[in-house]
Amino acid sequence: MIRLENVSKVYKGSVVALRDISTDIQKEEFVFLVGSSGSGKSTFIKMLLKEEEPSEGTIYVAGKDIGQLPRWRVPYLRRNIGCVFQDFKLLANKTVRENVAFALEVIGRPKNIISQRVPAIIELVGLTDKLNSMPHELSGGEQQRVCIARAMVNRPPILLADEPTGNLDPSTSADIMNLLERLNESGTTVLIATHDHAVVDRSRKRVIELDGGKLVRDQVRGVYGIG
Amino acid sequence: MALRVNYFVDETVSNLRRNVLLTLAAVSTVSISLLLLGVVMVGGEVLTKMVSSWEGKVELNVFLRDEATPEEVKALGSQANGMPEVEKVFFESKEQAFEEYKRMFKDSPAITENVDPNALPASYRIKLKDPNSAEAVASRLQGQPGVDEVQFGGEAMKRLLKFTGVVRTILVIAIILTLGAAILLIANTIRLGIYARRKEIGIMKLVGATNWFIRVPFIFEGTVQAALGALLASALIYAGKVFGLDRMQDAILFLPLTVSSGSIIRMFFTLLAIGIVIGVFGSSLALRRFLEV
Repeated sequence: MIRLENVSKVYKGSVVALRDISTDIQKEEFVFLVGSSGSGKSTFIKMLLKEEEPSEGTIYVAGKDIGQLPRWRVPYLRRNIGCVFQDFKLLANKTVRENVAFALEVIGRPKNIISQRVPAIIELVGLTDKLNSMPHELSGGEQQRVCIARAMVNRPPILLADEPTGNLDPSTSADIMNLLERLNESGTTVLIATHDHAVVDRSRKRVIELDGGKLVRDQVRGVYGIG
Repeated sequence: MALRVNYFVDETVSNLRRNVLLTLAAVSTVSISLLLLGVVMVGGEVLTKMVSSWEGKVELNVFLRDEATPEEVKALGSQANGMPEVEKVFFESKEQAFEEYKRMFKDSPAITENVDPNALPASYRIKLKDPNSAEAVASRLQGQPGVDEVQFGGEAMKRLLKFTGVVRTILVIAIILTLGAAILLIANTIRLGIYARRKEIGIMKLVGATNWFIRVPFIFEGTVQAALGALLASALIYAGKVFGLDRMQDAILFLPLTVSSGSIIRMFFTLLAIGIVIGVFGSSLALRRFLEV
C-alpha cells in the first residue's frame, strides 16, 4: 500500500531529514512510526501527502509512483489518505455534522451520499448524541473522534495519523487507539506517527523507528524502545 | 455539475452570512474605494463639460472691408465653410453688427447716438471644431480678398487652452491614482478575508479538494461583494447628483454642472466591471499563496 525505495530528503541548507529509507507497508497493516522530535517522522508523513518531494528515491502510494503525479492530480491522491492530527484541525464555526460533511462536500460528493454517510460514520466513532454540537463544546477525545470521522467518511484505504494522542490523557488515548484499531480491522491501512510510549507498547503492532533520519528498527510486534 | 453549482451557491451565501462582519467590512471597503473612483469620474465629466463649453465659446471674427464686393464676401464664406477645421460660419452684416452694438450699450444712449450705423464692419463669425486650430485658420483667411482683419482670442485664448489642457491631465492622473488605490484596497480586503479562513482552506486541501473547488466560492464571494459595493457607491453618487449637483445647477445657471442619469448608469456598470475584475483577480492572486502544495 505504501512503499518507499531509497528515499532521502535534504532540506535547503543541507539539513538531512531522511537518509536512504526503504520500507513497505502492506494493505490492511497497522504500523507505528516512532522516533524523537527531529527524527524525520513529519517529513515521512508530508512526503506521503506530497506536501514535500523526496530529494532522492521513489514513493509508491496505492501502487502509484507519486513522484510522477502531476500537480493537479495531488488532490486525488489525498482522497486516498485520511488524515488525523494532534491539533484536530476542526472548523470552529461548523457543527460536528458539518465538519464531517465538509470533507465530502469539498470533493464534490452528491447530497444524498453525504446525508447517508455522515451520520453513519459519526455513529461509528460514537458521537451520535453530539451531532449538532460545536467543536468547543467537546472534550479533546471527542474532538479527535470527529477528526477521525472526517478522515474516514470518504472511505480512504489509508489512514495517516500524526501524533493523534499527543493532546489526550492516557485513558482517552486508549479509546482513540481502540477506534483506530477497529478501523484497521475493517480493512483500512493505518500508519501512526507517535512518540507516545504507552500507546505503542500496549498495541504490540509493527514498529518502524527513525533516528536522525535513518531507519534504525523495523519490528513486527514491537514496543516503543528497547530498554 | 448542477450539484456543484448548488454547492457553490450554498457555500457563498452561507459564508457571506456566517462572516457578516467580514462581509460588511469588505462591502464597505469596496464601496468606499469605488465611491472615490466614481466621484473622480463624475467630477471629471462635469469639469470636462465645463472646459469644453469654454472652449466652444472660442470664435474667429473675420472683419470684412467695406469695399468688398458681394462676390468676394460670398467666396470667402464658402471658403471658410469648406475648411475641415470649421464647424459653423455665421455672417453678420453691418446692420446686424449695429443692432448688436446698440443692444450691448442700450444703457448708455450717448455712446450709440454718436455712432454711424455704417461705421461697424460686416463680419464672419467662425466656430471651430477644435479651438487649437484657431491660429492656423486665422492665418489662412488673413489676406484673402475682402478681408480687413481676422481676430481671435490670441494670448487669452492660448492661456485658456493651456489651462484646460492642464485640467484634463490632472483628471487622468486623478483617475489613475484612485483606480490604483481602489485596486489595492479591494485586493487587501480580499486577502484579509482569505487569511481569516486559511484554516478552512488547509483542511479543504488535506481532504483532497481541487484548487478550483476551493477557489470558486471565494471568487463568487468577491463578485457579490464587488457588485454590492458598486451598487452602494453608485447609489451614493446618484444621491450626490440629485441633492448636490442638480441643486447647484439651479443656483449657478451659467456653468454646465449636471451629469445625466444615463452617465451615472454607465458609471455604475464601469464600477461594477472594475469591482468584479479586481474581485476575481484579487482573490485568485491572494489564494495562490494558500493553495501552494
